[in-house]
Amino acid sequence: MIAQQLVNGVMLGAIYVMVALAFTLAIGILNFMNFSIPGLFMAGGMATWILIHRGVPWWAAAVVALIVAAAISLAVERLSYRPSNEGDVEVPLVSSLGFLVLLQSLVLATVGSDQQAFPAVLGDLNLRIGGLVIGAAQVLSLAISMVLVIGLTVALKSTSFGRQIRSIAESRETATLLGIDVGAVIPRVFVISAVTAALGGVLFALNYLQVSPFMGENVGFKGVAAMIVGGMGSVWGAVLGGLLIGVAEVLSIRLFGADTVDIAVYGLLLVLLVVRPQGLLGKPPAREKL
Amino acid sequence: MTGTPLLRFEDVHLAFGGLRVLQSLDFDVRAGEATALIGPNGAGKTTVFNVISGVYRPQSGRVLLDGRDLAAVAPRQRIRHGIARSFQNVRLMAHLSVCENLMVGQHVKTNGLRDLLAPFRLMGNHRWRREAIDALAEVGLEAHADAPVGGLPYGIRKQVDLVRATLAGASLVMLDEPAAGLNPTETNALRLHLERLKARGITLLVVEHDMHFIDRISDHVVVLNFGRKIAEGSLAEVRRHPEVRAAYLGIEEAA
Amino acid sequence: MSGYQTGVLVILCFNIIAAYAVYLPLAANQLNLGIAGFMAVGAYAAAWLTTELNWAIAPAVLVGGGASALVALVVATPILRTQGIYLALATFALGQVISAVFLNLEVVGAAAGYQVPAYAPAPAVFAATAAIVAVVFYLSRTRFALYLTALKNDATVSELLGLNVRALQIAAFAIGAAIAGIGGGLYAHHFSFIEAQHFNVALSITTVLYVLLGGTQTVWGPLVGALVYTLLPEVLRVGAGWRYVLFALFIIGFMAVRPRGLVTPDLGRRLGAMLMRRARPGKAVP
Ligand SMILES: Nc1ncnc2c1ncn2[C@@H]1O[C@H](COP(=O)(O)OP(=O)(O)O)[C@@H](O)[C@H]1O
Ligand SMILES: [Mg+2]
Repeated sequence: MIAQQLVNGVMLGAIYVMVALAFTLAIGILNFMNFSIPGLFMAGGMATWILIHRGVPWWAAAVVALIVAAAISLAVERLSYRPSNEGDVEVPLVSSLGFLVLLQSLVLATVGSDQQAFPAVLGDLNLRIGGLVIGAAQVLSLAISMVLVIGLTVALKSTSFGRQIRSIAESRETATLLGIDVGAVIPRVFVISAVTAALGGVLFALNYLQVSPFMGENVGFKGVAAMIVGGMGSVWGAVLGGLLIGVAEVLSIRLFGADTVDIAVYGLLLVLLVVRPQGLLGKPPAREKL
Repeated sequence: MTGTPLLRFEDVHLAFGGLRVLQSLDFDVRAGEATALIGPNGAGKTTVFNVISGVYRPQSGRVLLDGRDLAAVAPRQRIRHGIARSFQNVRLMAHLSVCENLMVGQHVKTNGLRDLLAPFRLMGNHRWRREAIDALAEVGLEAHADAPVGGLPYGIRKQVDLVRATLAGASLVMLDEPAAGLNPTETNALRLHLERLKARGITLLVVEHDMHFIDRISDHVVVLNFGRKIAEGSLAEVRRHPEVRAAYLGIEEAA
Repeated sequence: MSGYQTGVLVILCFNIIAAYAVYLPLAANQLNLGIAGFMAVGAYAAAWLTTELNWAIAPAVLVGGGASALVALVVATPILRTQGIYLALATFALGQVISAVFLNLEVVGAAAGYQVPAYAPAPAVFAATAAIVAVVFYLSRTRFALYLTALKNDATVSELLGLNVRALQIAAFAIGAAIAGIGGGLYAHHFSFIEAQHFNVALSITTVLYVLLGGTQTVWGPLVGALVYTLLPEVLRVGAGWRYVLFALFIIGFMAVRPRGLVTPDLGRRLGAMLMRRARPGKAVP
């Protein structure tokens, strides 16, 4: 049933959209390939699961998880991003990878490597439209990610904070000359990016009723692929890329089996990187920081 | 050999988008001479170098080396055809020492895979190292041979950049503002060094703002303004030229 | 030497080999985040040769390295068109594709993994590692290494000085892949079993991390990085689960205070000066 597969692909894609969004904000505004994001995604889902286990109501657990992710992200800003301005170009990338390894191995050491069952807190409310079944969690994910995307687009366009961000993305020196407090804006970008990623992790857990230390590696890196497919630094590119990767994944599972997903998704990414590195909606690469 | 053109620009046009940087440019660089290329900032002098070394391709016109169209020669191959250059804003490899930078400059004289894989750094005072140090000694910088270039003063880096350009055995050496940022002693040493290069039969194309320096070293002067050649001849001749006076007076007024 | 010590040394050897596989392309400004994929090519190729064709281990491992280099050469032309972060991501994607291909390849066991009966004992691993280190150190004394640093610093000027930047980049990429492939082949024959899941992105990433921890500006850096990564948890006697936590903290802290890595040319020069005072002058300047 192909229509159902497409729906599932879009719903999975909605989660990739959030991770891609987190990456694209860091690249587009800060010129920073922030590899801690898959870790924050995992931290979002994992912290929620841990807290629910301790008896915290699921929504409160989710809120605390987002705060935890934001706090970790501020540490990334302080320890990975900020010192890099003078150092070698690979440093921030490597150091943020260090955070990914740290988060993953912390969970491995404390929770273990097993996949954990996540409670079905939304019950099994299902929407039935024609022959299609759409879960409540799926609708929630899609709704939240669309609200985030539209909210971000509007905020970047028409709030003064958005204007500050855009001028920093354009040129840090000019922004400083214009009197923008760059040092205060940047940590907030880290918080927004982290909350977006961690929210993706919470929604993933709600949807697929499982968390594991490796969920960031599995899903987070698909988010990287989504960002590149759409075009680094482009918000709508993240949406397009996320949905495309989601659909491609679900369809390739359906057509060729689960073990071929990585060949399809990363093969697509590889070809795209070679043929059109700026992605579908991105500008040609100009500035970059490795 | 003096008198025959080693390098010739024929009606060269180059534009970046709508910005015309070189317009219908014709001039010759005669073998064995020092030709100076002067003109106000933004006149297109560095662009001329970039066209010669193949960084930019002209939209029309030809650049001939010994009568041969350079369009057919890849940028990487041009140094093998005897064209070497220095850079206006010194472009040394920051993580290499002075001597190592010069050894990279020797590349086209080395012998393929054999030299590429020779473990010269195990061989103490290898001839490549000696040659680099001898070249440094000519400008009195041999003491800095093993210093990392990153920490050296600008004047020294500028001279190392120049020395590197001379190590490929090129017949045409292009120098982009070699005296800029040098103190009088260094400038004087530079002038003597350029005299020595000329005496070895090397053709020079020099961009420089210091008129006194130009006067001492150049045989022929080409003046550019807004990408056009507005005058050429001896320095005394071009100085009398009304357009040249206007171009430079304009600059002085603006400054 | 106790079994425990031998075990640690063998792991150290595999980490050193992997470190140099990452280091060579990195010296040419290529961050290869897919090195595990190249290890997988070498591992599976060599294992298949000894298992199905009854080859001896040594030629099989070498051919495995060759196969890995061949894959690198084939993908180099398209992949090295990308630069910087795009290249890092392209190699990352390539690594994922390669290990996913082996996950589906029935002739080598697919998802069930592949048994490798031929056994390479610890001394063989030591010898091979010593040989690889010797080759890399040899290369570091040549113009080849000098040119890699040159093009890493300024590719445009290197090109104008006549260097074949493209060929040098491809060579660095392929030699790195060959080393990874040899490491993979040895791994397969020492541990007698391989599975595609082992050659995952985490393996690629941790390798890159300890190489950068050691520092990439001298040939000693990767060696020191691998030593620290392997031995520090042993020395501190931390449990298996916590070793990566410790390592990650170390990386983060280190990158914040000493972003060039542990071993820098400056340190090298100072050490070199010390050694020179003892050894004959004019020899072995790092
Ligand atoms: N790559 C480029 N893209 C756009 N404009 C350029 C480029 N290179 C040079 N220009 C422009 O060409 C003009 C001439 O530059 P240049 O040759 O550097 O002048 P000069 O060396 O005589 O001071 C300037 O207006 C400069 O801005
Ligand atoms: Mg200039």
